[in-house]
Amino acid sequence: MAITAEAPGGARAAKMRKTLLGYVPIESPFYRYHPVTRLVLFVFIGVVPIFIDMPEINFALVVLTILLLLWGKADLKRLRIYMPMIVTIAIFMFLVVFLAPGNDPTYTPVRIGPATIYYQPVFFTFASYWRLMAMLFGTILYFSTNRERDMLVALRSLKLPFIASYVVGFSIRAAGMFMEDFSTIREAEQARGLDKSALKLADQVKLYVMYLVPLFSIALRRADEISHALFARGYNFTGKVGRGDKRSDYILTKYTMTKADWAWVTGLVLAFVAAAVAEYGYGGFRLVHSPINILLRQALGIG
Amino acid sequence: MASMATTTSSTSSVWEKEAGEIRKPGIIHVVILALFTGIGIVVGTFGSLAVPIGFVSAFWPGQAVQSIGSIWFGGWGAISAFLFPLISNSLSGSAPLPVSIAYIPGNLAQGIIAAIAFRAFKSDPSLRTSKDWVVWILLGAILPNAIGAIWGTGVLVAFGLVTSAAAVTTVLGWFIGNSIPSIILGSIVLKFVSPLVLRSKAFCKGWWA
Repeated sequence: MAITAEAPGGARAAKMRKTLLGYVPIESPFYRYHPVTRLVLFVFIGVVPIFIDMPEINFALVVLTILLLLWGKADLKRLRIYMPMIVTIAIFMFLVVFLAPGNDPTYTPVRIGPATIYYQPVFFTFASYWRLMAMLFGTILYFSTNRERDMLVALRSLKLPFIASYVVGFSIRAAGMFMEDFSTIREAEQARGLDKSALKLADQVKLYVMYLVPLFSIALRRADEISHALFARGYNFTGKVGRGDKRSDYILTKYTMTKADWAWVTGLVLAFVAAAVAEYGYGGFRLVHSPINILLRQALGIG
Repeated sequence: MASMATTTSSTSSVWEKEAGEIRKPGIIHVVILALFTGIGIVVGTFGSLAVPIGFVSAFWPGQAVQSIGSIWFGGWGAISAFLFPLISNSLSGSAPLPVSIAYIPGNLAQGIIAAIAFRAFKSDPSLRTSKDWVVWILLGAILPNAIGAIWGTGVLVAFGLVTSAAAVTTVLGWFIGNSIPSIILGSIVLKFVSPLVLRSKAFCKGWWA
């Protein structure tokens, strides 16, 4: 799906692409790269923080991801929906470690006003928070700059079986369809005079639950229609045609891996392996190497 | 007594094949898997964003979708049960992909236990008798959520996102936050939508058809 504009000569030219989390200009530098390269970048940024305990590096990954979003011309205002999650995760993590710090006698107590916190679990939580943020921003980057079609192309290029790639692609498209159905139901209620703002929280929850009944009914009807349509077009579980030959994959003919794609994929895979070896082989990213940790321990006189 | 006999007969017929009936997995099951995953993505994402309290939501009705999907569509629903949180957690930002992948066994359990229980006890998904209600609430909502909460908290501890000292608090928060909406939402959907599903071709009396 794309937003179009009137081009010279009266033709309609696409200007924006609708990604899974918003719109990105069609001339975004991300689209110079093959969907497989973008998927590998996602795996790298989204998974590599597992190997990294040092909060400085994970914070740098978050900054890198934001810079990539800016470079890719993604609308950063869309990230506002994540603000409550980013804040509440921090509150949750630090509240839990404050209320249940554990009873290790080697922990160093630190008094802040009337409260006592313990340095080791609090710093561990601080580091874990930035690891989580780095992984989350990697995920946000991917879903902000890729469409369901890009995901499908990447999975098919990686030789995922037809049925699996079909289910993943169609699931994401189905989510979009149900969002539209959901909006239709809500608009129909508003047209009949429902004022949601006047409802109590309990009634709003009840209303939310009741939305699912028509949504499920629509899903059942749609499953029938789509399965008949697929049957009529000769689709089956295997993705092969009647004589047993492989079905030609039209969508893959529209994308080719360039030398730049291969270079990025190779570089990212090597960097991923290097990070894993550095951590599990040599402990290179452990908390003891964190400059912030070293400074704080010196300030608190922890040996 | 006569009415009880009628009810018992009708509940057992939900899962039993008619004489000569042959059921095979078809393209409709793949389609319903994808559509149901789509519903799960929407419900899971909204639930996570609605009342977020860290990695868990105070109102995550996604577990109800996991259980009822597996009750209605057997193995297809079970696949959907672990597939949709991978995407909904990413979209809502409640858990990154590696954590969501580690959640898979817990999510599978959250779906499949209800499916096993309804088939083993011949309970009717339309919740017609008190036995159906007991099976649904105990084995469709409470037990799966208890297992899911324990597994999920174990994953958070393993990833270093929660300290082991905070595990019990997290399990309790997770369990309550998932169980209450599961019971409310799941009961309504099972009660009102099951009669439609039971008549559809997508309904699975067995595990795959």
